[in-house]
Order: sequence, then structure tokens, then C-alpha cells
Amino acid sequence: MSKFEPGMESMVDMYIYETTTLLEQLDQILIKTEGQGSFDKESINEIFRIMHTIKGSSAMMGLENMSSLAHAIEDMFYIIREEKPVISDSKDLYELVFSASDLLKAEIDIMQNDDYDFTDFSPCHDRIKAYVAVLKNGGGEAPAAEEATASASAAAPVAAEGMVTVKVIFDDDCKMENLRALLLVNKIREDCSEISYEPSDIETNADTAKTIIDNGFIVRFKAIDGNDQLVINGIEEALNVKSYEIIEEAAAAPAPAAAEVPKAAAPAPVAAEAPKAEAPKAEAPKPVAAPAPKADEGKKSVEQINNMLQGRQGGGGKQSLISVNLNKLDQLMDMVGEIVITEAMVTGNPDLKGLQLDNFQKSARQLRKLNSELQDIVMSIRMVPLSGAFNKMTRIVRDMKVKLNKDVNLVFEGENTEVDKSVIDNLNDPLMHMVRNAVDHGIEENVEDRIAAGKPAQGTVKLSAYNSSGEVIIVVSDDGAGMNAEKLLDKGERNGILTKPREEYTEREAFQLVMAAGFSTNEVVTEFSGRGVGMDVVKKNIEKIGGTVSVESKLGEGTSFIIKIPLSLAIVDGMNVSVGKSIFTLPINSIKESFKLHENQLIHDTYGNEMIMIRGECYPLIRLYKCYDLEPTYTNIYEGIIILVEAEGKTACIYADELLGEQQVVVKPFSPMFNDFNVKQYGMAGCTILGDGSITIILDANNIITNF
Amino acid sequence: MGFEDKAGKYLTFVLDDRRYAFSIKNVIEIIGIQDITPVPESPVYMKGIINLRGRIIPLIDMRLRFKKEEIPYNKRTSIVIVRINEVDIGFIVDRVDEVTDIKAEELSPPPVVTMDGASKYVMAIGKIKGDIVLLLDHDKLFSKSELRTLTESN
Repeated sequence: MSKFEPGMESMVDMYIYETTTLLEQLDQILIKTEGQGSFDKESINEIFRIMHTIKGSSAMMGLENMSSLAHAIEDMFYIIREEKPVISDSKDLYELVFSASDLLKAEIDIMQNDDYDFTDFSPCHDRIKAYVAVLKNGGGEAPAAEEATASASAAAPVAAEGMVTVKVIFDDDCKMENLRALLLVNKIREDCSEISYEPSDIETNADTAKTIIDNGFIVRFKAIDGNDQLVINGIEEALNVKSYEIIEEAAAAPAPAAAEVPKAAAPAPVAAEAPKAEAPKAEAPKPVAAPAPKADEGKKSVEQINNMLQGRQGGGGKQSLISVNLNKLDQLMDMVGEIVITEAMVTGNPDLKGLQLDNFQKSARQLRKLNSELQDIVMSIRMVPLSGAFNKMTRIVRDMKVKLNKDVNLVFEGENTEVDKSVIDNLNDPLMHMVRNAVDHGIEENVEDRIAAGKPAQGTVKLSAYNSSGEVIIVVSDDGAGMNAEKLLDKGERNGILTKPREEYTEREAFQLVMAAGFSTNEVVTEFSGRGVGMDVVKKNIEKIGGTVSVESKLGEGTSFIIKIPLSLAIVDGMNVSVGKSIFTLPINSIKESFKLHENQLIHDTYGNEMIMIRGECYPLIRLYKCYDLEPTYTNIYEGIIILVEAEGKTACIYADELLGEQQVVVKPFSPMFNDFNVKQYGMAGCTILGDGSITIILDANNIITNF
Repeated sequence: MGFEDKAGKYLTFVLDDRRYAFSIKNVIEIIGIQDITPVPESPVYMKGIINLRGRIIPLIDMRLRFKKEEIPYNKRTSIVIVRINEVDIGFIVDRVDEVTDIKAEELSPPPVVTMDGASKYVMAIGKIKGDIVLLLDHDKLFSKSELRTLTESN
């Protein structure tokens, strides 16, 4: 962390967040315009703005390498914007900007490491320089962006006459005031024929932020066609501007009244050199300078603006979105969990047993209703649409298209489906792997093959998402060649990952082989996929968030990977069951029914395994106390209770002592220590705290059925 | 002998009449023995989990961890809650002794071989007023690979 400018450590999170968002925006713009084949004015400005912000904030943080790279790109786009050179080969340009954007992203990733050191970006710099030279040759002589800006600001103070001066105050605590000021200047620059500002070195000198806080930010401008109002509107709309006032000083400076206040009326260039001293004095001559003709105009504007300001205050805030630290949300979630537990503690209090408490019950019901509403709201806060994760894939597909020379179209469906934030974070890598696989292996190598199969030449990879009974289902599908079960089995045999004789594999099981560790179907390992680690990592990541992955494929028609993830990871409806002294919680949604066994229902197979016959169907019997080596109250199968559970199409009967009742429980993950012992595999999904403070273990029907 | 970095405040506790010490930096609190919920399918020394004001904390029985004989818990039995790499772990000891300052000159390197299973985790031996205290290395004691090998041998 020591690489950052001192005093800036607290800003690191914000900086990383802002810069990442900007870079993502940049990618979006590039992909959009690449599709159109040319840059329109708007997107050039947008890129310019993004790079400018990154440049400025990186300089603030003391990250010179990032700042200078952003600067180089900014310069390049300045030339593109101002000179409008004929861009003969836009592909190179895109490659260049994409690679620069990747470099910046990578830098942000490694930034938080303790041993972080600046990466040397000079190869990229050289490429940009070379490209800029090409641009210049194509588009005639072009002065460098900085020179132009410098000369503009240098010229401005001299021509102070006829300029309007505005003092801008930024929001308290908006941080990086000098950057906000820079953004403001960039915003209004287009509408001004001349512009200058104080302090003048906001771009390079981080200390100016303090000056701006103390004295405000002074902008002098001369609007194009005298349209001052347009510029002032621009100032008003700029981000983080708390208030501003029009100062008559500059207008009055050259006027006769100036003689009375010689200090303030000193020629602007001097003032520019001493920004700290100038600003407070600037206010002083206000009453004296009032008679100057220009000042009247300024006054008028002041009035107008005050009116506008009042109007705005009446009209409510300008933003309806805030960003919140995820930790705080987690805390809130935990808190709501605690409230749910405490509510159960109060309403189910043993002291109340046997008492007739009508009013208490009424209030308790009300409390329960409010609590569940609170829970819903908190859950909804944490819900994020999948579109963010999906959009990241456009970039990956674009890169692969170029590298692999395949024509692939990426289509989204239901990208507004929402899932929990913690799920999204774990979904990015798996999605990336699957999309890569779909483009690399899924879509046919040769366009001729596709046409011969009667398919359009352009391949399609589809990402779709939808809700289905408490689960979110995400499908990554391609319309490629599909998978050949026989080939998969051949390969599996060669790699020695088949777990049973080949003949016993169904087609469906053969497809699941692609997700086994050490399996790679592509003969050639490419940059994007083919090492055989991808899909089993995908499976592990999805399972980590409580989801499942399955594969469906039809030879010649394409392959689909189907991910199912639970909507909520935090609170489940559970049924508490007891086994001896232990209490376990089974999620209600996996329980089909529970009953006491009749004499004729129990049967044994030839190996002596117990089976239960229900309505003509046979289900295996799992005795929980045997699984977990516990001492049950009942071993006689007719005394305890049988619970029929179903998970992922598998059904089994679980034998426990008795049912204790239904309750909403908050899932708490096991300590990482237990994960080392693979308790999850043995059917223990997590634990929860009951109303009386005791702990129960939440069971996972699927793993119990699979493992016992 | 390079023990300067190991000098400091230690919490000493007793297991089977032998004194051990743990750096106070990692200790969060000490509580009496509580109702423990066992977790099936975990090694014997993992006694289970407890609820500490809404947090769920796994417990390790240090007697079993060091392959000593198990004795019934009594009112002297204590649970020491430590935080190691952001993870809270409670370990059960016969009794907690005191918090003491151990100076660098009171430390000497650990013996190569000792009788019990604890020898591997001793980072130094301290002498406090003529009494021998074994300073435990928590990184070694709770490292993943260490836990895994223990699990396999059980």
C-alpha cells in the first residue's frame, strides 16, 4: 500500500471502484462502436472523458504509470477528435485501446497486494506513440493535446476582459476536489471560446484540492456567442457542485473602479501565479466594483441562478442511487438473521408455556409479519441483475472472435433476472469458462461445416436466465456441433477417468464427463481453453454457492450448460428433526412427506439393504443415526418417523426419532476448519442457531442420498 | 539467539500437568465449558461447535489434539477462543493459568524429540520462575496441511 500517495489509502477502495466502472464503460463503448465500424462524436467524447478521469484520479493516488498511460490514450483521442484524421485501419486502433484497457485493469487487480510495484507500461506507450505518428501523418500536422490546452489557458488571463468569473464550491467531503474541478472545466470547455481557472495546476498538483476546499474554485470564461447562461447551466449540472456564485471581480478588473482596489485588480496573470492569495481577495471588491457595466450582467445571472437553485432544492435530490459497502449489507443481513432468531426466542419462550395470552399472540403475529417483510426488503437490496455479469462476456467473445477467426454472435435473454450479490461474485469465472468453451469448442471450426449442416454461417452463443421455483436457472448454449457421447467415452477411457464399465454409461452420464477433472476434449490446447481444468473448476465454483451444473447436448444441434442456483443462500424454511440428543434441520423444500411406517411397507433386498414401499414404489431407507454414528432414542423402525426426501430427481426415506416442528432458520456456514474435513459431502450444509440458543446442523438431502 | 521477536505476553494453560503458552495477541476471550453440538464425520479432536453470542465457533480438544488421554470436563475446564487468519477457533484446555511476560533471555530452542504429540508445534521453551513452559506455534498447530495429515492418521 505504500505505493500510494500518503493520505490516500482511505481512498483506494473508491478509486478502484470508480476506475473499474470506467474501464467497463470503456469496453462497452468500444464494443458498440466496433460493431458500427466507426467512432461517432459522442463516443469519442465519452472515451476522452473516461481516460481523463482515470488520468486525473491515478495522478491523485500517485500512480504515475496508470496516469501516463491514460494520458497517452487521451492524447490519441484528442487528435482523433480535433484533427479527424482518416483512420485507415480501425482494427489496430481497437486492438491498441483494448490492450491498454486490459493493462489498466490488470494493474488495478494487483494494486491491493502488499508487494505491489508499478508495472512498466512503456511497450504500450511505444505502440500508442507509433500509432499517433501514423494518425498525424494521415491527418496533417496536429499539435499535441496538452500544448493546445496549455496555450489556451495561457492566453486566457491576458484576455480577461469580457469574461465572466464564477466561484464554484464543491460538496463537503466529495474528495478529490481538484479532479471534480477538472471535470467541470472539461464539461464547459466546449461552450466557451476562452477559459481559464484557478488554481491553474489542478491536473498535476493534488494539493490544490485543499485550496479549492478553502477558497472555492474560480473559473473565468467567455462563452461562444456570449451565451453565458448555457455555460452556467453546465456548471450547475456538474457533479458534486454544492453552490456557485458569479463574481464581478474579473469583469471589473479592467474597469476604472479597479484603481481603488489595486491588489485585486492586479493583472490576471499575476493572480494566476498566486492562486491562494487571490481567491479570498476576489470577494472583497464586490461592493466597490458593482457599478461596472459588465457586473450588472453578472448580477442578473446571480439572481437567475439563485432562483434556479431554489427551484432545484424544492425539486428533490439529483440522485436516487447510492453505493453501499458490501460489508455493511452483510452486517445488515446478519442483523436481520439475529432478529429472526430472537423473535423465535421470544415467541417460543418456555416461560409462556400453558398461558392464555391473546394480546401477546396478536402482537407476536404482527411482529412476525413485519420481520418477514424486513427480511424480504433486505434480501431485495442484495439482489443484483445478471446483466452486469453477462455484459462482461461480450468482451470475451469479441476477443475470441478476433483470435480464433470465428464469426460468433452473443445473445442475451432474461439478463434482468436478479440474484444475490454473493452469487454474482462467484458466477463470473464459471460463466467466462463456459462462454469460452462454447465459442472455442462448441461452434464449428469451419464455416463450411455449418452451412453444410443447414445452419447460418454466423454461430450463436446464447446466455439466458430465468426464475423457476426458488431457483435461478442460467443456460449457456451454443448452436454448434454438439458433443459426441462415443468420443467423450473414448477420451475418458484414455484418460482413465471412467468410474464404471463403459457399456454402463448412458448418453447423459457421458456428457457429464466433460466436467470431470483432467478431461479435455479439444486435441489442441489453445490460449482460451483445452487444458481440461476449466469445467471441473466451473462445477466446483457453482457448487460452492449451492448450485448445480448439468450438460445437455444434441449431436449437430449444439450444447447447453444448465446452471441452477438457489435464489437465497441465507434463510431457509426448515423442519427440525431429532436423533437422540442431536437436532438436525432439513430444508422444507426437499421434504415430500413424513409418516409412521406400517408393518408391510418395509422390505429387504438381496444384500439386506432396507427399502420402503410407498404406493407401489420402492425407496431406499437411510437411518440418520447410522450415518452419523449417534445414539438414537428409537432403533425400532416402527417407533421413529420416516421422512421422504427428494433432491435432484433422487428420492429416499430418512429415518429419524421425531419431528420437532417447522421453523425459519438462518443458514450459517461452517467454519473453514470443517470444510477441510469435507463435512459438506456427508450431507451437512451448514448450521443454524435455534430460538433457545442451541445449534442445529442443516442437512442437505442431495448429499445424504448420494453418500449413504 | 533470535528470540527477540518471540518475547512478549503469553497466556499459559495446563494440559495433563504440563504448562503451555499461547501468544496473547491471538486470544480473544476465555469462557467456561458450554453445551457442545457435535459435528458428525469430523475427527475426534474436533469436539463440535458452540454458539458464542450468535457466532458459531468450532472447538478443538487440546488433550485429544496432542493424543493425550481424554478426561471428563469439570468446572476448571476452559475454552480459549483465538483468532487465527480471520478464523475463530476455540480450544479446550484443562485449566487456564495466567498471562505472563516472557523475555527473550528466558527462551531457548525446542528439543528435537519429546514424548508427546505436541513437540512438533513447540516454537520455543520458556523458563518462568524455574517452571518450564512450552510456547506453541499457532500457525503450525492449525495449518491446513497439519490438520489434513492428522485427519488421515485418525
